[in-house]
Amino acid sequence: MDSNRDEWVEERLAALGPDREWQADVSRGLSRLRERRRLKRNRTQRWGWVAAGAVAASVPLMAFPTTRAFAQRCVSACVGQSNWVHSLLTRNVSSAVPSSALVNGSERRMAPDFVLADASGKPVRLSELRGKVVLLNFWATWCAPCAAEIPWFIEFQKGYEHAGFATLGVSLDEDGWSAVKPYIDAHKIDYRVMLGKDDVAQAYGAHSLPTTFIIDRSGRIAATHVGICGKGEYEAEIRRVVDERE
Amino acid sequence: MDASREALVEIDTGEDRLDVETVFQAHYERIARVIARVLRDPSRAEELAVDVFLKWSQNPGAQGENASAWLYRVAVRAGLDELRRESRRSRRESLVRFFRPSPTPEDMRAAQEDQDRVRTVLAVIQSREAELLILRSHGLSYEELAAALNLNPASIGTFLSRAEQTFRKEYIKRYGQQ
Repeated sequence: MDSNRDEWVEERLAALGPDREWQADVSRGLSRLRERRRLKRNRTQRWGWVAAGAVAASVPLMAFPTTRAFAQRCVSACVGQSNWVHSLLTRNVSSAVPSSALVNGSERRMAPDFVLADASGKPVRLSELRGKVVLLNFWATWCAPCAAEIPWFIEFQKGYEHAGFATLGVSLDEDGWSAVKPYIDAHKIDYRVMLGKDDVAQAYGAHSLPTTFIIDRSGRIAATHVGICGKGEYEAEIRRVVDERE
Repeated sequence: MDASREALVEIDTGEDRLDVETVFQAHYERIARVIARVLRDPSRAEELAVDVFLKWSQNPGAQGENASAWLYRVAVRAGLDELRRESRRSRRESLVRFFRPSPTPEDMRAAQEDQDRVRTVLAVIQSREAELLILRSHGLSYEELAAALNLNPASIGTFLSRAEQTFRKEYIKRYGQQ
């Protein structure tokens, strides 16, 4: 393998700086880190209070059907904006909801097949992805924990595509593409996203969001996660399922 | 390097403050050095390295996985992003200079430096390939590269030689055969 290596290129790259004697100043870095963390804490605490105030203000609006949707968005936006509230919530969620670990090969059930249209109108049939490992994520634009997971899924898609892996997003937004398409653009989601239907969500038992399945190369459900789970956990499972032989 | 990584396994992630500072002490020098490979200004590299650790401390997902791999990945991306910003800025400045008297001898000497050429090439080739080349030249093993960039360890050799070919082509296209 090494015989293909290009010494000319390696020499050039090796000539990049910094000098051998150069060393980063650890104590200066550490005090800079402490200062940045202190500033950040103050800022997030301030935003936490602002978000809490906005949530409180939205509660009376929930009483009226006409303003309910608006109030829900406000609450979810506030929760999404504030890392402080967000980390508090997700920490609770991840400890409260036991997410199931990987299921043994022989005990896995088949993932229900479906055909759903993606943003360009092209139909996506799950069974056509047989032979690939699929991460199937049920989500919605208004769901704050879903938003936290999406960047990880983008990263997984990029990192494992070459190993026969694909991420599929199924949005359960009631407002349809008018809500989902701008969201896809804004968050630069580059994996395929389809608009879900009730029967698909029912078939998967996706009653709460986010719900995520990891489907093996034979189309069987290898893992189920209800609620947000750690990025490392997803990634460890993806790696194991990708490495399985059929 | 390996000793510090082994020590990391022992760290309890419960205590946030202790944690980020311990990880910082164990990895800061190497992380700053990776960024300093890419940038011309080492003090800017130090600033960006601190940002990497700040991000690490704020990202609960990152703390679950191999810290060293995560830090390398984020560091090399931060360095490349800054390098691209710098080269955009210098393109703008060179456009301004076009209407002004000729560049100073110092500018010309700087532009001729091979390091700058290497940096220019790294800024224009695909990020994934540039990341691979930088981390490899920093001395990471195939296993470490695979972990840092989420690649299949068995394919690293292939990816690397492809990245080198891309680099060579782009370099020759810009500066001719040396």
